[in-house]
Amino acid sequence: MILLAVLAAVLFMLIGVPVFIVICGLAVYLFFISGIDLSAITIEMHRRATTPMLVAIPLFTFAGYLLSESGAPKRLIRLSNAVLGWLPGGLAVIALICCAVFTALTGATGLTIIALGGILLPAMTRGKYPEPFSLGLLTTSGTLGLLFPPSLPLIIYAIVAKVRIDQLFIAGIIPGILLVVVLSVFSINRAVHNNIPKTRLQISEIWSAIKAAVWELPLPLVVLGGIYSGKFAVSEAAAITAVYVLIVEIFIYRDIRWKDLPEIMKKSMVLVGAVLIILGAAMGLTNYLIDAEIPMQMLEFFKLHIESKILFLIVLNIFLLAVGCTMGIFSALVVVVPLLSPIAQAYGIDPIHLGIIFLANLEIGASIPPLGINLFIASIRFERPVLKLYVASLPFIAILLLALALITYIPWMSLALLK
Amino acid sequence: MSRWQRWDETLGRVEKFLLAGMLSIMILLAFLQIILRNVFSTGISWGDPLVRYLVLWVGFIGASLASKEGKHITIEVFSRWFTGSGNRYLKAIPHLVSAFICGLLTFAGWTFVQNEAQMGGATFLEIPVWIPQVIIPITFALMTLRFGFRAFAKFAMIFNPDNFSENGNPS
Repeated sequence: MILLAVLAAVLFMLIGVPVFIVICGLAVYLFFISGIDLSAITIEMHRRATTPMLVAIPLFTFAGYLLSESGAPKRLIRLSNAVLGWLPGGLAVIALICCAVFTALTGATGLTIIALGGILLPAMTRGKYPEPFSLGLLTTSGTLGLLFPPSLPLIIYAIVAKVRIDQLFIAGIIPGILLVVVLSVFSINRAVHNNIPKTRLQISEIWSAIKAAVWELPLPLVVLGGIYSGKFAVSEAAAITAVYVLIVEIFIYRDIRWKDLPEIMKKSMVLVGAVLIILGAAMGLTNYLIDAEIPMQMLEFFKLHIESKILFLIVLNIFLLAVGCTMGIFSALVVVVPLLSPIAQAYGIDPIHLGIIFLANLEIGASIPPLGINLFIASIRFERPVLKLYVASLPFIAILLLALALITYIPWMSLALLK
Repeated sequence: MSRWQRWDETLGRVEKFLLAGMLSIMILLAFLQIILRNVFSTGISWGDPLVRYLVLWVGFIGASLASKEGKHITIEVFSRWFTGSGNRYLKAIPHLVSAFICGLLTFAGWTFVQNEAQMGGATFLEIPVWIPQVIIPITFALMTLRFGFRAFAKFAMIFNPDNFSENGNPS
């Protein structure tokens, strides 16, 4: 019967029933057959939604949306163009960096391809980059940067897996940079190979681009400085970031008018609501599953068939890529993390390293055919058939998988900055 | 525009206003607490619990608006491939299922709030704890209505396609 209910849940999910409804429905069914009062689901939701850590989510999300609606993306592109434009493949590297920064700020929700893709694709076409190359790069960059703070998936992982957000923020930096660097090296190589024309380096343009973005450049320091020095909690850093961005974009740059604020606030809080309700819904279900000792039973099964840590990691990688491709990042995080993290710990994987493995897999999974969400967003944004994007993304996915292997099998990359 | 749709739009504006107001208070209060703590070594005792309940309200009102705008996170594998008439059923069933589950959750939330009211706990400033919690059954009830109406509109469109415009709203 339970198997049937799970199958029905999967079917409902596939025909487009919202994920939180499916999770709640499953919880309602399981609670009902075990004679637990249904209000237990809302008790868990309420408890999850009032955790002190959660304050960081609306604050960072609002700051990210505010930045994305301001002139910040344009200033960022201009500045990186001035600094890197003269390199072979410079424009491709600029696209990668801008997408990564933008994704970290807006939380990997498909906004990157929609907001930046429209500026970057025509720019790359003008720069004589072959179209499949540009399409593949922008598609796979839709979730690039998810490992950089303060991305929403990092915060969600920390809450679900009960690890420290500040540690996870710091752990993501080197692996995040690695992903950007391997794609950049590949892009430069392709650019040299294809004889892409370069632009000249102009010191005066660098100077004026820096002057234009001078108020936004300290942002990484605002977000991370207090956390890294241990002076501020993550939710406090989020409050400071929100106030800083508000002051900079409204009073200094005047990109955002007062009367636009309610609309931006609403847009960002609708996203927060959609994410929080999944998070709350999953809490009731996972507590039930843990009480029913499902992770323990899974662990016994794993221990029986998989002996070495390396083999476990390989299986984990394949599983998570598939999950990231089909379920999407947020649903995968709230459903899969509580089930798998006790098992991974039994294999001796550091919880922080596990978080980075999870997020790197889900990030790449989002671009993997046939169902990766980035492919569909890009298909709509660039008005190209999905099949064309499948082919265009393949070389980039191959490169990313290589980097993923490094991130998974070298824990040092995630843990070095923590020591 | 039907009476329900006008009501839905008005409600949406009220929710937007509430979201903007609460988020503004959340930002200012959280920031004020940091200043008070670091500069004056003091703080508002009810500040932190208020901020936490604001997150609860913002989250649930945001979720209710997400139902209005179709912004809930879905996986929706099939409709990425299917278009046309089969897709209409694929669009109608999810709304119906969602309305049903939200109805149950409204009931669950209502029981929860009632129990809390009976126990009579209080939170910051002696406010009874069920008052901030009442947002849970309220927003679930709104989501039930919103999903329910959309399911109704989609089914009506399937059986009587001429009277309805493409986006599923009665014309």
